[in-house]
Amino acid sequence: MSSSEHKHHDYHLIDPSPWPIMGAASAFVTAVGAIIWMKSLDDGDGVFGLTGWLPFAIGFTMILVTMFVWWRDVINEAEVEKAHTPVVQIHLRYGMIMFIMSEVMFFVAWFWAYFDVALFPGAGVMGFEAREAVTGGQWPPVAMETDGGYLKGTFDPWGIPLLNTIILLTSGATVTYAHHALLKDDRKGLIWGLALTVILGLTFTGFQVYEYMLASFSFGGHIYGATFFMATGFHGVHVIIGTIFLAVCLYRAIKGHFTAKQHFGFEAAAWYWHFVDVVWLFLFVSIYVWGAGTPIAH
Amino acid sequence: MSTQAHAADHDHDHKPGFVKRWLFSTNHKDIGTLYLIFAMVGGIIGGFLSMGIRAELAEPGMQIFSNPHMFNVFTTAHGLIMVFFMIMPSLFGGFGNWFVPLMIGAPDMAFPRLNNISFWLLPPALGLLVMSLFVEGPSGMNGAGIGWTAYPPHSTSGHPGPAVDFAILSLHLAGASSILSSINFITTIFNMRAPGMTLHKMPLFAWSILVTAFLLLLSLPVLAGAITMLLTDRNFGTTFFDPAGGGDPVLYQHLFWFFGHPEVYVIILPGFGLVSHIISTFSKKPVFGYLPMAYAMVAIGAVGFVVWAHHMYTAGLSLDTQAYFLAATMVIAVPTGIKIFSWIATMWGGSLSFPTPMLFAIGFIFLFTVGGVTGVVLANPGIDRAFHDTVYVVAHFHYTMSIGALFTLFAGWYYWFPKMTGFMYNEALGKLHFWMIFIGVNVTFFPQHFSGMAGMPRRHADYPDALAGWNMVSTIGAWITSAAMAVFFFAMVLAFMRKQKAGDNPWGVGATTLEWTVSSPPPFHTFEKLPKVK
Amino acid sequence: MRNRLRGGQQSSVVFKGIGSILATALFSVLLAGVAHAQGGQPVPWQIGFQEPVTSIARQIDSFHDFLMIVITVISLFVMGLLAYIIWKFNEKANPVPSKTTHNTKIEVIWTIVPILILLVICIPSFRLLFAQYTFPKADLVIKTTGNQWYWSYEYPDHGGMSFDQLMLRDDDDKPIDGPNGEPKVLAVDNFVVVPVNKNVELLVTASDVIHNWTIPAFGVKLDAIPGRVNRAWFNADKIGTYYGQCSELCGKDHAYMPIGVKVVSEADYATWLAKAKKEFASNEPVRKKAGDTKLAATAKENINR
Ligand code: HEA
Ligand code: HEA
Ligand code: CUA
Ligand SMILES: [Cu+2]
Repeated sequence: MSSSEHKHHDYHLIDPSPWPIMGAASAFVTAVGAIIWMKSLDDGDGVFGLTGWLPFAIGFTMILVTMFVWWRDVINEAEVEKAHTPVVQIHLRYGMIMFIMSEVMFFVAWFWAYFDVALFPGAGVMGFEAREAVTGGQWPPVAMETDGGYLKGTFDPWGIPLLNTIILLTSGATVTYAHHALLKDDRKGLIWGLALTVILGLTFTGFQVYEYMLASFSFGGHIYGATFFMATGFHGVHVIIGTIFLAVCLYRAIKGHFTAKQHFGFEAAAWYWHFVDVVWLFLFVSIYVWGAGTPIAH
Repeated sequence: MSTQAHAADHDHDHKPGFVKRWLFSTNHKDIGTLYLIFAMVGGIIGGFLSMGIRAELAEPGMQIFSNPHMFNVFTTAHGLIMVFFMIMPSLFGGFGNWFVPLMIGAPDMAFPRLNNISFWLLPPALGLLVMSLFVEGPSGMNGAGIGWTAYPPHSTSGHPGPAVDFAILSLHLAGASSILSSINFITTIFNMRAPGMTLHKMPLFAWSILVTAFLLLLSLPVLAGAITMLLTDRNFGTTFFDPAGGGDPVLYQHLFWFFGHPEVYVIILPGFGLVSHIISTFSKKPVFGYLPMAYAMVAIGAVGFVVWAHHMYTAGLSLDTQAYFLAATMVIAVPTGIKIFSWIATMWGGSLSFPTPMLFAIGFIFLFTVGGVTGVVLANPGIDRAFHDTVYVVAHFHYTMSIGALFTLFAGWYYWFPKMTGFMYNEALGKLHFWMIFIGVNVTFFPQHFSGMAGMPRRHADYPDALAGWNMVSTIGAWITSAAMAVFFFAMVLAFMRKQKAGDNPWGVGATTLEWTVSSPPPFHTFEKLPKVK
Repeated sequence: MRNRLRGGQQSSVVFKGIGSILATALFSVLLAGVAHAQGGQPVPWQIGFQEPVTSIARQIDSFHDFLMIVITVISLFVMGLLAYIIWKFNEKANPVPSKTTHNTKIEVIWTIVPILILLVICIPSFRLLFAQYTFPKADLVIKTTGNQWYWSYEYPDHGGMSFDQLMLRDDDDKPIDGPNGEPKVLAVDNFVVVPVNKNVELLVTASDVIHNWTIPAFGVKLDAIPGRVNRAWFNADKIGTYYGQCSELCGKDHAYMPIGVKVVSEADYATWLAKAKKEFASNEPVRKKAGDTKLAATAKENINR
């Protein structure tokens, strides 16, 4: 710490770090790579004479590497330098809460798209004739076998989706169990609780992938598929991120990182997990249950 | 509110080497400087684009573009760059970083490393936008001519080439940058105020940044969702905005303006904040009605979230919807009025001096009022039917942005220039800059009220001969503004060459916020010992 | 240095100079509402609306005159206060600043008075809005479809007669004046023709991207959105030729898809109708059928993915 000799406060002044600019550069490569990739789909020409997914993969890997080294530094500062004083821990709390708030607003956009059509499937006062032609003026839309049959039927919410709901709710309980164990300095309980949570998270993802494979409608061509897959898909991505986050905490717990007094990394993961959980409940109720109507067997 | 100066700071002011200091920075003042330099680059590019627009519109017929699509590309890039890469990086990123920690007596931002990535995401974002100018948009033409609002289906089926994808990802990166810096500002302001500085004692600029940060935090993710839908509609066959698949182009407009309206307050609120300090300093009087001033900003921010559809009155919203948005939009004039009148009351009974920052601040109060009241005209759906998408709207938003926000930017710049650099600028040149730009922007934008009323739609590359007169006046105004900017840059170069020492507080007794208690320029690390606020 | 910083006196003089110029400018806008230009299109140096020829447009006009007074007074009031302060409270005139920071009474006033002003504005505003949405029984229905970059019209009451309306261009694709002196950029090949003093209901949609149909003199402006059919109405009470221009960014030739409407007497309308029916009825529209197939094609494509 170059500045710590003169410091008369508990804030954490951080030394210059190469990771932010590296992260920004990675984001740039990823963005350009994503465009190249998207423009190579369906035999496209790509951009700047480049095609394929490789540039994207390189950028994305760079992002992952940046995250790894960056957070490794953060963990070091907490564990080795003991720089995370109580006030700094409050910073982290605020930061995480704000981050989750922004994530909530991100999901608002997808729910908005969903409710826009689910609440107003017909032409209505706004003369929305094209939509009525597609949905039949009802939600869920009339099933259509014709024209490639992009909406043959909806999912039965009381099958896999209900199971997944139970899995996620249980995982919420196990992570809370882990937290209680941690507060009592019961390391074994913490590790088991976390391990269970991670396993439940993976199970959820597995079921979700399986269910996607059974879908009788697709991502493209129909608003039902678009809203369904984008909303549940982004949720799925968040489950995966949350699972990784929890897995890192599990690893750190095994390494002996957390104490009953100081374990914000764990708490952040738990908050995040609860957030993912709550989003799921909304998805389940509005998209799966309501959006299923009378399920059509397939 | 002031406290002891920090003599000790000067002794151990070790600065890291160039790469570490500027590329790897974790220092709020250096990052603030980076933001300001970036904003200048953005402003110059955006300014050049606007001169292209005005050159094209100087006379009827096509002047400088052979293809009107290029005009749309210029307009789009101009709007996006001015908003995302000039105003926001300077007022929010630049001044916010420099002065929020100084004003609240914090040694730095809460997350210094995060702060740095917030900045460094911007150059790639600008890079992507600039790249979009050189790749295919509509078949056979380069660039994204979609307007800064990027309405589908024009931005989806209308632009098959990658240009729009570049623009979209540019916004994704710029948005990520702003979300991260908002998290940082909110945490810093909530948690790092000097002992004794309650929220109700916090300087108004910090308040303005706090409200702005919340606006960004809650609105940008919705934009991110909207433009992600554009992306998947464009590339993966989803039909969010494609009626043939049951989607709805108007859905995009809702999502965009749910972000877009709060965004206009993002643009103006930091300016509201800093103008309060400037007015108070040069009136040698404390801010009048401090609490109402703070809560007026909170109110503007909150109400700003529920008025978005006033941009969509002609989209075919139902009568009830329009009636609601009429009423809601009007409400914002009340807290804004409180601010205008409180500034005036701050000056009332004061002992006023008029250096450049004060000229810009007073000019701002008047001209922002002019822009604000035309906003109130537009808020009425019945009348917006006549004005929507005419250049009257262009006049309205340039009075609020290119005059309102820009004047606050220059006010802040001249006010804090001595603090940031340690040098004094040349007053005569500063005043010349003020008067030239004051005349320039009014000559540019006032006649647009007329051509708008006469029926000239915005985003038109060509127009009937009858509109030639006012358009020529407008273009002449743009030249005057360019000349004013030349004076500005000359004044700045001169200030750095002359290196006339400014002193810790060049503005005298009126300047009472904490930044005036540290040296000019401030030491690399400020407030290593936290100041106490009574 | 200090002295140069404090140039209060000179500034106040210049401020007042500029002030009076702006005041004149603002007043000229105010007056603009009274004397508008004639004839369904802009005229040089115009500073007001085009002459309104429907009751709605007249209501817009008079509501705007009222708003203009309100906002001019507010702007001048703010400017006046600033000028007064600069004159009265500059350093020389008032070397010792007061320390006032609160005055509850005045603060309440400047909160309440704007609220009252806004309430007053709301009354005519709501009246106008409701009038715009009170659809009279239609005498004639016209459906218009925005295309890149021209308008298609259908007269469903008259056997689905339909035609396209394109801007007049020369061989190099440059806009040109019309045969009867119609101005370039506005001049079109086929005018929409409607009878005077009749309720015309307008159905507006688009085939490709969003466009916007407007005739300023009618006080009508409505987005043409693919997949939606928006509705408006007008009743023009003055014979003449009226122009509008596409008012939603729609790509390259956004500036080159004007709208031209001729309001004619009942008799002339009948003559035109007879002729038009022959000319257009059997034909497909000149370019392509309104409500075109482009979007349908994308949909197909998507389905096939
Ligand atoms: C800094 C940016 C900024 C600010 C602060 C504002 C402020 C306001 N704006 Fe503006 N606006 C824009 C930027 C901004 N706007 C932009 C960029 C667009 C176009 C976007 C696009 O389409 O590309 C736009 C468009 C726009 C529209 C849509 C027009 C259209 O496309 O058809 C409307 C309609 O309601 C509107 C209204 C308002 C109102 C009511 C305010 C109010 O907040 C103003 C309040 C202020 C005052 C009223 C003055 C001070 C008050 C007093 C002195 C008190 C007394 C006053 C009264 C009693 C009236 N704006
Ligand atoms: C803050 C925003 C901002 C600013 C400052 C400006 C500034 C200017 N704008 Fe623009 N403009 C927009 C935002 C802005 N504009 C937006 C959002 C649109 C809509 C786009 C769309 O339709 O999609 C638009 C559209 C627009 C149009 C309408 C185009 C059309 O509809 O066809 C026109 C036409 O005259 C125009 C002209 C100008 C001119 C002459 C200036 C001049 O005032 C510019 C002069 C240049 C400067 C004053 C440089 C400023 C700053 C710096 C150099 C940085 C200094 C930095 C520090 C001190 C740190 N602009
Ligand atoms: Cu059609 Cu603009
Ligand atoms: Cu708005």
